[in-house]
Amino acid sequence: MIELIKAAIGMGWPALGILVGLMFYFKASISDPVANKRAVFKTFIGTIGAFLLFMAIANYKMNFFEESRLLPVSLVLITSMTFMMALYFTNISALLKIGGFMFFIAAALSGYGNWLPQVEGGFPPIEEKKDFSNMPQTELADEGEKIIFGGVGQNKVQGAIGKGQCPLCHAFHKGMLGERAPNLDGIPERAEAQLSDPRYHKGNPAARDSNQKEAFPGSGTAENAIEYIAESHSCPSCFVVAGFGVKGTNDKESPMPSIHKPPISLSIPELAAVDTWLYVREGREAPGFDEIVKSYEKFIPESDRPKPPTEGDAKPGASALMADGTEPVDQIFAKGQCVACHTIPGIAGATGTIGPKLVEGTNAPLRIKDKDYKGKAKSVPDYIMESIVEPSAYVVKGFPDNTMPKVFGQKLSAGALKKLVDYLSQVHEGKEPPKAS
Amino acid sequence: MGSVTRTKLMSVMALCAMIGLLLMPVLVAIPALASDGGAPAADAKKEGGEAKVEKGKDVYYKTEGIVSGPPAPKTTDSEKDYPRYNFESRVLLWFANQQHLYYGSFVLAVPIFCMIIEFMGVVSKDKALAKRYDQLAYDFIKISLTAYSLTAILGGILIFTFLTLYPAFFQYLSGIFRPVMHIYALMFVAESGTLYIYYYGWDKMKEGFLKWIHLSMSVVLNVIGTILMFLANSWIGFMMSPAGVDEQGRYLGNIWHVIHTALWNPLNLHRILGNMAFGGGVVAAYAAYRFLSAKTDEERAHYDWMGYIAMALGVSFLIPLPFAGYWLMREVYAYRQQMGITLMGGLLAWLFIIQATMIGILFLSTNYYLWQALGRMRGAEKYQRYIKYLVFLLTCGFLVFITPHTIVMTPAELKAMGGQQHPVLGNYGVMSAKNGGINVIITTTVLSFVWYMRGNKVSTVSWSKFGNIFMGCFFFFAYLNIIMLAVYGYYIPANVRVGLSVPQVATTLSCLFFMFALNSVMMKGAKQMGPIEWGKISARSQYALIMLATAFTWMMGLMGYIRSSVRLFWHVNEIMRDNSPWAYTHTVGFAANMISANVLFFWISIMFVFWLGALAAKKAPVEAKAAVPGRAAAPAVGH
Repeated sequence: MIELIKAAIGMGWPALGILVGLMFYFKASISDPVANKRAVFKTFIGTIGAFLLFMAIANYKMNFFEESRLLPVSLVLITSMTFMMALYFTNISALLKIGGFMFFIAAALSGYGNWLPQVEGGFPPIEEKKDFSNMPQTELADEGEKIIFGGVGQNKVQGAIGKGQCPLCHAFHKGMLGERAPNLDGIPERAEAQLSDPRYHKGNPAARDSNQKEAFPGSGTAENAIEYIAESHSCPSCFVVAGFGVKGTNDKESPMPSIHKPPISLSIPELAAVDTWLYVREGREAPGFDEIVKSYEKFIPESDRPKPPTEGDAKPGASALMADGTEPVDQIFAKGQCVACHTIPGIAGATGTIGPKLVEGTNAPLRIKDKDYKGKAKSVPDYIMESIVEPSAYVVKGFPDNTMPKVFGQKLSAGALKKLVDYLSQVHEGKEPPKAS
Repeated sequence: MGSVTRTKLMSVMALCAMIGLLLMPVLVAIPALASDGGAPAADAKKEGGEAKVEKGKDVYYKTEGIVSGPPAPKTTDSEKDYPRYNFESRVLLWFANQQHLYYGSFVLAVPIFCMIIEFMGVVSKDKALAKRYDQLAYDFIKISLTAYSLTAILGGILIFTFLTLYPAFFQYLSGIFRPVMHIYALMFVAESGTLYIYYYGWDKMKEGFLKWIHLSMSVVLNVIGTILMFLANSWIGFMMSPAGVDEQGRYLGNIWHVIHTALWNPLNLHRILGNMAFGGGVVAAYAAYRFLSAKTDEERAHYDWMGYIAMALGVSFLIPLPFAGYWLMREVYAYRQQMGITLMGGLLAWLFIIQATMIGILFLSTNYYLWQALGRMRGAEKYQRYIKYLVFLLTCGFLVFITPHTIVMTPAELKAMGGQQHPVLGNYGVMSAKNGGINVIITTTVLSFVWYMRGNKVSTVSWSKFGNIFMGCFFFFAYLNIIMLAVYGYYIPANVRVGLSVPQVATTLSCLFFMFALNSVMMKGAKQMGPIEWGKISARSQYALIMLATAFTWMMGLMGYIRSSVRLFWHVNEIMRDNSPWAYTHTVGFAANMISANVLFFWISIMFVFWLGALAAKKAPVEAKAAVPGRAAAPAVGH
């Protein structure tokens, strides 16, 4: 609160000064006592109104990019200001009341939005270069689970979702509801049975009733269970399980996208990992990696196969990212080795003393105002970001320059940097630090 | 040649000029479109088929076409593709885009209002009322004229923002739409030209044949405006559900495919209705402001009436809006199921809970206004005692409508509740209950309107008793049907349940059309208990109008954000990836704050526009003021 008042005065002192000056001027210059009293009183109310307005602006400015959910407070301040002014400035009373009412509605809706659980969509998944071909089957299955659900052991967590996005439509456990797409429980066994479905037309794709007969001309149909799964992933419309087609197409077209194409774009090794998990989680022996890859190659022509990320494709440094932003913030601090040099309240093990203590919610505003500060930041988040990617922009007194590496802009993803900035901007001296994970 | 004939001739020529302006872009476009699609093919033929022509497959239409453009650029997180200006570029673009959209919607909606109101004036047999309608339409277009200049300025700012903050993306998109870019520009010129002819010709074409010519001009003006909006919509349709390009994003020579994407038509319909409801809200807020600051009874009467007309027009477009939204959602699911799930059941689902709240607020405000408006009619007291039952129905519908299905919880909370859904309230979070909830809300709004329309009248038809009983039964069984279908939905599979929304909507619409029609027939030649005392309405009612307008502005911002966010990290869905540092989706709280900032900026600026309009009115000559029919004290008998 004191900080807010200070910021409001710091920002609005010229206007506030003029209003106070006017008040004294009216007091001294208006001879009619009634008019004098009215003018002084109205100027006084105007000064309070202006002060509230500056507090609102200062609060908006200080909290714009933070997760503190305090922005609606600004709108409430302005609402109070307009209603108070409307009482005394009767000539524009209607305008002020309407304005105040609008601010009140906006404040209520903003507050509602901030009160709801704060779900944030992460950055697009980083393309990792992993060699799946030599992994043992259990490890490959774990990678598959990560692709489907976002992590190992996540398959029973409701709402868990990974790069493959499969749980958006499919259920994976017995009894779970999968209305949009078939439940994939028991799929290795069922895949074998589907080949004998009269609509499948094994070995005779031209006889199929689906809009797309084959994955590509000459690809043929699946001959065994793993090929059936591969065909389902790469050409979902080649055979649609009864009842799951696009509405109105009579099961001739599937709503599922080809998984090797955008927006999901899994590579063939990734698809092999997914298929391996489908087998392993049911306690079955999965086909070998090479066999699965071969099945996919049967249905995905060379030109359509997603290329695994290569050194040439990756942006500088991207292949060696320390953190991609999917980790909790304490892990990002650990991966970036920040904990070795800095003391960071709320982060376990962050007790380093080579660099300054990171209580940036308190320190950053003071440093921006420091006469020696030559950086470009104008807000707390900007300052923190600048300190990470360009440490020499401002060197805290008592600490030597060029000690902190200047590579974090390349070694941390944008998502990871944002998490660090969000966390550090909420760390204040003498206050409870925010939750780290 | 007499002066009347000369004026007639000039008017006809002006109308022809407007039609010419309308047709000019189309005429210019036809050869361009023809050559555009055929050029590569012709070139290929010239070379006797020997030259290798690269063909690509349309990502949506699955047709083959000759590759006629470069692939979508693969951007990187660099200054070149995403220049930085010490602020989040996406937020700046969001702001510029939203402001342009608000003003654009307003200036496209108001001429449609003018057309309707002017038409009502022309066909009205009551001369005083006809004049009032005419003046009202004129007042509307005057407001929109000032806003029109601002729209153009904001459009310029938007293009500048795109060019400076997202140059690679804008370059790609403008490359794709190049064949129709000049049509867009010409349509804008045509819109400006027709608007000025329409506005400045108002006084010259007041009577008889000339008035019909003038009215025809408003039709032409609206056709141009609608085409302009459809073209603008094609950009966002392409970004959400691209077509006319191959998997690499290369243009395949068929601009109609690029424009006519999977979501273009539902977006068009949704935007027309949305613009109209929004425009009604803005004009109603303007009227409320003038009412609250009015100094005389005449002024209060005029702006009370204006507020009512604007509200009625806005709400009449608000009622079908949820159904248009339903169609849009259905098409989204049909286009990409995972996109629909991200919207309704995934990352953006909480925003739909806010949307449900907003819809509830809009209908509650409308009903509250109508109940307040009953107070200015003698004889309407008989309905006021039943309002508490309507409040009960609306509250129940609203609470069911805003109940979420699942909520994000900590493991401890999850354990305490015994699952993702609350054992009792969780039942109201499913679609079956929600369909019931919204239909109850809309049916109740229809009932409020019916009561309002018969507030100060007593039917004199011989079968009035039977008619009243029939109406009562119709509404009772309508509620019963909606609620029973909602309950029945719990006992049948989801794919069958979806179909229940059709009879529910049909029931609501039956109430709307049949009951309005029956009421009109019953009230023909009805006995008046007293006049509508325009201006004798509570100040609270005007705040309900302001609530309606602000809530609608907020909801427009919210829905625009949802529509744009559903692309996640794609500039053009599945074609051009967003590799900027802002390729993530903001939290609900941040979005809510940003929407509020946009809404407040819009209202502060439009207040300025209103103030400018009021200044112009003050400068009008005294004789002109005296002739303003809306300011006459004559009370109107109709609604």
